[in-house]
Amino acid sequence: MIGGAQGSGVDTSANIFGNAVAASGYYIYGNREYYSNIKGRHSYFNLTISDKPPRSIAQQVEILTSFDAETIFQHFNEVKDVLIYSTEVESTKAEQVQSMEPEITEHVIKFLKEKGYGTTVRDVINYLKKEKGVKVIPIDYMEILKKVADQAKVQLSVADRARNTIAIAASYKLLGLREQYLLNSITRTFRQEVFAKINTIASQLAMQPIQPMYNLPELPNNEEKINLDGNTAAAIGKIYGGLRFQSYYPITPASDESVFIEAHQTVFTVDPKTGEKRKSTIVVVQAEDELAAINMASGAALTGVRAATATSGPGFSLMVEGMGWAGMNEVPVVITYYIRGGPSTGQPTRTSQADLMFALNAGHGEFPRIVIASGDHVEAFHDGTWALNLAQKYQTPVIHLVDKALANSYSIIPKKQLGMENIRVEKGKIVINSSTPELKRFEITEDGISPFAPLGTTRIHYTGDEHDEYGFIAEASENREKMYEKRIKKLFTADKEIPEENRVNIFGNTDSKIAIITWGSPKGAILDAMEELESEGIKPMLIQIRMFSPFPKNLMKKLLSGREFIIDVESNYFGQAGEVLKLNTEIEPTHHILKWNGRPMMRDEVKEAIKAVVQKGERKVVLHGGA
Amino acid sequence: MAALKVEWNDWCPGCGNFGILSAEQQAIQELGLDPKKVVLVSGIGCSGKIPHFIRLPVSGVHTLHGRALTFAIGVKLANPSLEVIVNGGDGDQLGIGVGHFVSAGRRNVDLTVIVHNNGVYGLTKGQASPTLKLGVKTKSLPKPNINSDVNPIALAISAGYTFVARGYAYDVKHLKEIIKKAIKHKGLAMIDVLQPCPTYNDIHTKEYYDKRVYKLDDDPGWDPVVKKPEEAEDKMSKAILKSTEWGNRIPIGVFYQNELVSTYEQRIAERSPSYLDNPPAHDVIEFEGKPTTDIEDILKERRVV
Repeated sequence: MIGGAQGSGVDTSANIFGNAVAASGYYIYGNREYYSNIKGRHSYFNLTISDKPPRSIAQQVEILTSFDAETIFQHFNEVKDVLIYSTEVESTKAEQVQSMEPEITEHVIKFLKEKGYGTTVRDVINYLKKEKGVKVIPIDYMEILKKVADQAKVQLSVADRARNTIAIAASYKLLGLREQYLLNSITRTFRQEVFAKINTIASQLAMQPIQPMYNLPELPNNEEKINLDGNTAAAIGKIYGGLRFQSYYPITPASDESVFIEAHQTVFTVDPKTGEKRKSTIVVVQAEDELAAINMASGAALTGVRAATATSGPGFSLMVEGMGWAGMNEVPVVITYYIRGGPSTGQPTRTSQADLMFALNAGHGEFPRIVIASGDHVEAFHDGTWALNLAQKYQTPVIHLVDKALANSYSIIPKKQLGMENIRVEKGKIVINSSTPELKRFEITEDGISPFAPLGTTRIHYTGDEHDEYGFIAEASENREKMYEKRIKKLFTADKEIPEENRVNIFGNTDSKIAIITWGSPKGAILDAMEELESEGIKPMLIQIRMFSPFPKNLMKKLLSGREFIIDVESNYFGQAGEVLKLNTEIEPTHHILKWNGRPMMRDEVKEAIKAVVQKGERKVVLHGGA
Repeated sequence: MAALKVEWNDWCPGCGNFGILSAEQQAIQELGLDPKKVVLVSGIGCSGKIPHFIRLPVSGVHTLHGRALTFAIGVKLANPSLEVIVNGGDGDQLGIGVGHFVSAGRRNVDLTVIVHNNGVYGLTKGQASPTLKLGVKTKSLPKPNINSDVNPIALAISAGYTFVARGYAYDVKHLKEIIKKAIKHKGLAMIDVLQPCPTYNDIHTKEYYDKRVYKLDDDPGWDPVVKKPEEAEDKMSKAILKSTEWGNRIPIGVFYQNELVSTYEQRIAERSPSYLDNPPAHDVIEFEGKPTTDIEDILKERRVV
């Protein structure tokens, strides 16, 4: 784990570190935690390194590396092996750290006093050494930075920007991996020569005195690996699936997706016959608000273009009006919904899964919608395309849920794991060259799906009022009944056509008396916890729900029948997925593991929670992990 | 060709909307636009029904209250070859949708916005709209209007609209010519149409306007068109000043036009040069179900090993 003030390069250094470790043949899962702030507040990166792709982070970390005092005060109880710290802050007292929230400061002081210690960083270090057996490595950052300034012939204030690199270089050395990989990662990260230089010198000086502790062997690196965070994965999935229009309003943690798409708005399409590449454009519009964002996307979708928006809870609240119009007019529009902590502004930068019910029910009146949820970065990529396919096939809004813990975490995975060869584009009933002078856009059909033609190809009418088959306002009761039912029917058609097996993922021991149900980011922590629990004789089955509407009720009933334990694991208060399960199947979770403090689920706390449920019969375990 | 389905027009007899619809229809026909390529996007209210009542085989998108412009921008940017015309009331465009009305000016997307300005919310039985002046009491207001009015012309000019005009619903010929100019204009055009509401506005009646409106064109010295960038400021101020004239004389005609400002479409094309040749609506994104988009370069950027 590396921590430091926001704006001090914590992200960059975590990436440098991660890429160097990946170059040594390892895989990584990393999570970023930060305040809703640009500079000064505490942020940190928690990384897991493994020879197989890890899927979660742990609450207890082996190495904590720091260059400020707050990181130590906030995280000293989470470190097992080594603490790297700055000698400059040794005498800093907890009460002097002004950026720290008073509640946290009080908590730290109380803890240290109870253990019989003072409140300085030095006291924390003594506590860790004596009572936790943690190895501490002091670094005189100023001394190193002065040498860097001297050797690189730059001002000390310039050299000071390499502070975070010193921290990660020291921790990298502990792993015992090849130094050169770190240096390569630095040169790749810093395009400007002067920064490449100061960071290279800083890392060399930092690594020099450190003795490796872990002696990780270098592993063969025989396949291409990529770094994917949730925002980027969803963005690339959408681009691959043919997205050509995205409108959005800036909001954390969703806008990174739109900004990424805008940065890559010129894409190549390959002519399948000639193999020739042709330039295409993805229009990205930063709208004035989310009302505009969803409606612009709907407008674009009416021209036959694959169109989407991306937002978070507060933005989705504003989009509800537009989504209703899209439902009424059977518009294939996709909303990538990044869930953060609510209600209201809530916790803009922290994770949550509390908006499931909202996504499923938002809007007045009844209309079909499809709701899918990704559980890891590869799924976020696939779902980018899947959502676009479902929207066009069933001509209705599709909501793709990604919680913040997935959006801002990243995985280093083999590129082939993306499974690009299996991705299809499915468009449904699109009439490209209409021969009729006007289209029965809302024709009553057996499956509820009517022919779609892009605006500009024939005469087509849309209206948010109830309408007849041509899209003209119609209030007659008989038409109302038919048209209403036609729209709703699409949900049943989707339910019939989409195999239920594709709407859930099943892991672990399918004969187990224990069934865990979850959705979204907790998947990774549960899978990692399950792996560790195996040696303790606990071998559950995990069911990850991928689609909430239409809900895979038959399969869920089948999978859950006769289980002694049905443990619902999710990041909200009410156990919303459990409620949806009950509504659809009349089966209720027997136990809950819930978390709503805004931090992602971590494998060690999940493991303990599963044990508490299975061994002690605890009905509801609330998780508290994460600073 | 079989007769196209047309909705029975349910506006009140004498409604100013009839004049606007008639002028709009004639403008589209006289410009020789391919009806298939014309999309009327409207908001909510009496004026919002215009796509249902037009007797031309154009397409219609009857949207949400205040949001017509946002849908229209999506349609136009996804398929720039379409001719997109927005119709909304003064409550729609300058009340609930005023944020979109102003924001659209910054983009200068090549479309036409027609504001049906009758001073009242007709379809909800006559409440005061954003263009009704302070202290005025129209028929169904229990008390005189407590709000000041917004000046659509001045607002549009300051927001960045590059064609700003006013028409009068009962001077169909004049209005038609303005609509034609607005459609031909490269950029975002706004026409404020003075429109009597015979049912709820007993102040701004046909008689009221007939006496007062005069044409800007009647003044040979009036030239609203910006021909050189340095003229913009001066013409803008003159237009805004002119827009404050309201009383015994009310000007109609073109207040301001500036085609030197780049359209949003041109701005996109500057960033992604293929945009106008291969706009989103014409792009081929799949072949036999396989995606045709090449993401290898993007994945290369994400490559760590």
